Amino acid sequence: MTTTTTGPLALPSGTDTGRPNPLGAFARPTAATGWRSWVSTVDHKRIGIMYGASALIFFVIGGIEALLIRLQLAQPDGVLLSADAYNQVYTMHGTTMVFLVVMPIGAAFMNYLIPLQIGARDVAFPRLNALSFWIFLGGGILLNSSWLLGGGADGGWFNYAPNNGVIYSPSRGIDFWNMGLIIAGIASLAGAINLIVTCLNMRAPGMKLFRMPVFTWMGLVTQFLLLFAIPVLTAAQFLLLFDRLFGARFFDVDAGADPLLWEHLFWIFGHPEVYIMVLPAFGVISEIIPVFSRKPLFGYPFMVFSGIAIGFMGWGVWAHHMFASGVGPLSVAAFSISTMFIAVPTGVKIFNWLATMWGGRLKFEAPLLYSVGLVTMFTIGGLSGVTHAVAASDTQQTDTYYIVAHFHYVLFGGALFGFVGGWYFWWPKVFGYKLGDKVGKVNFWILLVGFNLTFGPMHILGLQGMPRRTYTYRDGYGFNLWNFVSTIGAFTIATSFLIFFANILTSRRKAKASNLAMAADPWDARSLEWTIQSPTPAHNFDTSPTVHRLDDFWHRKYQENAEGKVVRIARSEDLVQPGDPTGVHLPSPSYWPLVIAVGLPFVGWGLIFNLWLCLVGGLLIVAGIYGWILEPADAPAAESGHHPDTGPGQPASDQAEAADGDRHDRDEGTESEEAALVD
Amino acid sequence: MSLARRAGLLGPALAVAATLAGCAKDAPQDTLEPEGRFANDLDNLINPIFAVAGVVFVVVLGGALFIALRFRSRNDEHFDDLPAQIHGNNVLEIGWTVVPAIILLAIGVFSVIAIFELNEEPPDDAVNVQVIGQQWWWEYRYDLNGDGTFDEIVTANDLVIPVGEEIDLEITARDVIHSWWAPKLNGKRDAVPNRTHPWKIQADEPGEYVGQCTEYCGLSHAEMRVKVVALERGEFDTWVEEQQTDAETFATDDTSEEAEGYRAFTGLLCNSCHLVEGVNDDQFSDEDLREFQRDVAGGPGTITDDELQASGHAPNLTHLMSRSTFAGAKFDLRRNTPYCRDLGVDWADEVDDVERCLDLGALEAWLRNPPAEKAMQAEPIPGRSPRRGMPNLELTEEQIDQLVAWLITLK
Repeated sequence: MTTTTTGPLALPSGTDTGRPNPLGAFARPTAATGWRSWVSTVDHKRIGIMYGASALIFFVIGGIEALLIRLQLAQPDGVLLSADAYNQVYTMHGTTMVFLVVMPIGAAFMNYLIPLQIGARDVAFPRLNALSFWIFLGGGILLNSSWLLGGGADGGWFNYAPNNGVIYSPSRGIDFWNMGLIIAGIASLAGAINLIVTCLNMRAPGMKLFRMPVFTWMGLVTQFLLLFAIPVLTAAQFLLLFDRLFGARFFDVDAGADPLLWEHLFWIFGHPEVYIMVLPAFGVISEIIPVFSRKPLFGYPFMVFSGIAIGFMGWGVWAHHMFASGVGPLSVAAFSISTMFIAVPTGVKIFNWLATMWGGRLKFEAPLLYSVGLVTMFTIGGLSGVTHAVAASDTQQTDTYYIVAHFHYVLFGGALFGFVGGWYFWWPKVFGYKLGDKVGKVNFWILLVGFNLTFGPMHILGLQGMPRRTYTYRDGYGFNLWNFVSTIGAFTIATSFLIFFANILTSRRKAKASNLAMAADPWDARSLEWTIQSPTPAHNFDTSPTVHRLDDFWHRKYQENAEGKVVRIARSEDLVQPGDPTGVHLPSPSYWPLVIAVGLPFVGWGLIFNLWLCLVGGLLIVAGIYGWILEPADAPAAESGHHPDTGPGQPASDQAEAADGDRHDRDEGTESEEAALVD
Repeated sequence: MSLARRAGLLGPALAVAATLAGCAKDAPQDTLEPEGRFANDLDNLINPIFAVAGVVFVVVLGGALFIALRFRSRNDEHFDDLPAQIHGNNVLEIGWTVVPAIILLAIGVFSVIAIFELNEEPPDDAVNVQVIGQQWWWEYRYDLNGDGTFDEIVTANDLVIPVGEEIDLEITARDVIHSWWAPKLNGKRDAVPNRTHPWKIQADEPGEYVGQCTEYCGLSHAEMRVKVVALERGEFDTWVEEQQTDAETFATDDTSEEAEGYRAFTGLLCNSCHLVEGVNDDQFSDEDLREFQRDVAGGPGTITDDELQASGHAPNLTHLMSRSTFAGAKFDLRRNTPYCRDLGVDWADEVDDVERCLDLGALEAWLRNPPAEKAMQAEPIPGRSPRRGMPNLELTEEQIDQLVAWLITLK
């Protein structure tokens, strides 16, 4: 049995100093409802919901930017956007979608689900988790404030040097880009450390690494990728920051700089970044497909290892973004080969998902539709990716719409389709009602058609020689028809998402009106989050589950009978935890993460406009850190009746036990629960 | 509910469309219709790979469609009757790891061979051209005597080459990263300041081949165009001779319109950025144009002259009228009609042809207000960014007429 006080990763609780807290202002907040409870929450579930909601808002912003692009490009010699306006719009579209939409949606799922799937009550560092979210939000707001403060960034999301310098981009837009992303990067790094420690240290008894669901595994690999990739981007961004604001000359060609330095730094981050974006979605559908096929995931070890392989190999392919950049034939050849081979573990996943469905009993409710959407659309994107890997002919494809087609197929058709499926799948667990399935199916088909109409023709446009990042194109080049079709497709996508948002509103209204409770396990699923009530109780698990095998919950519901046929042996209702929070002590809420996070954008604005704002921001940050350190370990009247949690292996003092950072209840499985376990 | 995978049908539809698109007449940048030896090699390399990808596409998406239809649960009862709970199959796993790896390895071998083959140096006697990108036009400089300096011919916008021969390009840039691309002749190569990248092209037939800058380079990235003009060897040699002559000067007492235009040119800002050999060579040093030191937020160096370009260069105009385009090849100088195209590089030799083929409206509009014609940062931003583009000199209509008259003499 794993506990937090023994073993190599032991985190023993400290003893409380017993100092009374003199300052009322530093008391832990106690609100459990209302907006105050949201801004002070350290609950991983609420943080996950906030990540998701923020991502959807940024998705609307990025989507409007996309529609502006498509309107401008619907016809040759478009006049809707000037060159300058277009350059800002396409830069912000890419930056927003990558950093403020796809990554936070992944974070939403990982934050909400990883503790549940490993049987924990929260992440390792709950206040740090809240800090990550608020810092991310601040970075996103700072980046988008550029629109109101002189114009968006206009150097492309990849922002190559020397164009990203002051001489060639004299507006402040790129400073906002820089600052916003440096700040958002802090959030990702803190989150990475948090989730890695959580996965390694806080698994329930019996939850060995190779019993973790594939979603958690993909999440773990993603966190390691973030841990090593974000610092590279941050380093490049600091060099740029010093060039732009303080007169450094890292990328100044007059001082002898080689602009390829930026390219290398960016893409060493940028390639792992795409796996950061897609691996969580791979994890999502790896949960959905087995449930809707009524079979286990085919090849669990291979799914885990291929994810790890992608994580490792992703570091060795970055210069495939640079085949035309003049790096020389030896480099080009090496990266061409490595890029070929990274298709292998990804292909393994595709085949395993299909094999899971093979021989199953497929129920095409919305989650499965989206999951199969990912499998098929990602395959298309992966195939065009293989054609890019042929470096010589990639010199015809790179920087054209063929590439735009490729990455939208893998990121939108891949990651985003998977995430929408995940929303449909986990919505009942998170909110206590299902999203309407009929509408969900309509939603899916309109999205599929719109998506293919938008990005399918871009393959043709690229091969016909239409470069990317161009604010207009000319008549007489053969680009007219497919650009027009693509614009129609874009508005079809927008329609499908309006339907999705409408579905949320109507489903919620219907659920409130009907007052029916949502079952704990509405899909007859396999992993631990379905063994507790819906919506998830604040304390997650009444008692720490004990895990005996992969898909433990499933095996407590279904067993092979004497004839070798797999039959149901228990109802979900009898196996799920009733949701009794007695005796549970949760990490207490705190305002200080928000305070620190608010300070950071002020530092950003200050560096751009007026250093006095940096002082304001800095004071907020320092005050926040002090508050964080000095606030009491927990709220005076903790939620469910403060109650000495006793049990084997418990420290005597319940004060010490209540120190922030203690997640587990040390209850062992009860007698009856033991009896229910069939090995 | 029918589960016909739209995506499954999309594949063949796309393939048909791509084929049809490839046959489109007005697709001058179509990579699938190469007209040069190296572009041909690339096309031959990628076509079989498209075929392999197509097969995999049909297998995987067809497989997904088949599985979706074949294993659909018929009803709720069927759904609750569990299928065989298969956990995996090691043989299959190894199979679908090794087989794709082998296919990819084979493709990889061809890829590597092609990389090194296309990287082979052109013959020593190949025409040697330095391609220099700057915001937002291309300069072409020829090294004719093999001394390593690209100074015999300096031209812009139209890259004139002999047909059927390998052309040795040395690609670089003066300000930000650009990328030079003429799709029907070869892939693209980035133009990076402080670096020179060798590249080569070869045109199979005489004609004109268009392309674009393909590395985002700021405001007018979309209008930084490439035009390659391939001439028969004899015509090319004649062109080379003509390019190396100086422009005529005009006596101070010459009152013709051309002379007035000449005086307007030499008296206004034009003189400081545009080189016309024989006219204002003294403005530019032997090592090419002036060095600029740029003020970077208080850092070293100061903008020595606010009037001048960030890149320090504007197109050399000495033989403007031998070109078919201007303003970074955004605009036609020579009308794009069959008659005018047939006149080739000598289109401006006859007065009648000039009248017929010069796109006077475009040229006058440019002189009248360049920033309105092409997105540029035509005015410096003090302390941050020097001028990048041609400013509005607020010329009178008379000055414009005079300048045009003089420009026409630059054959």
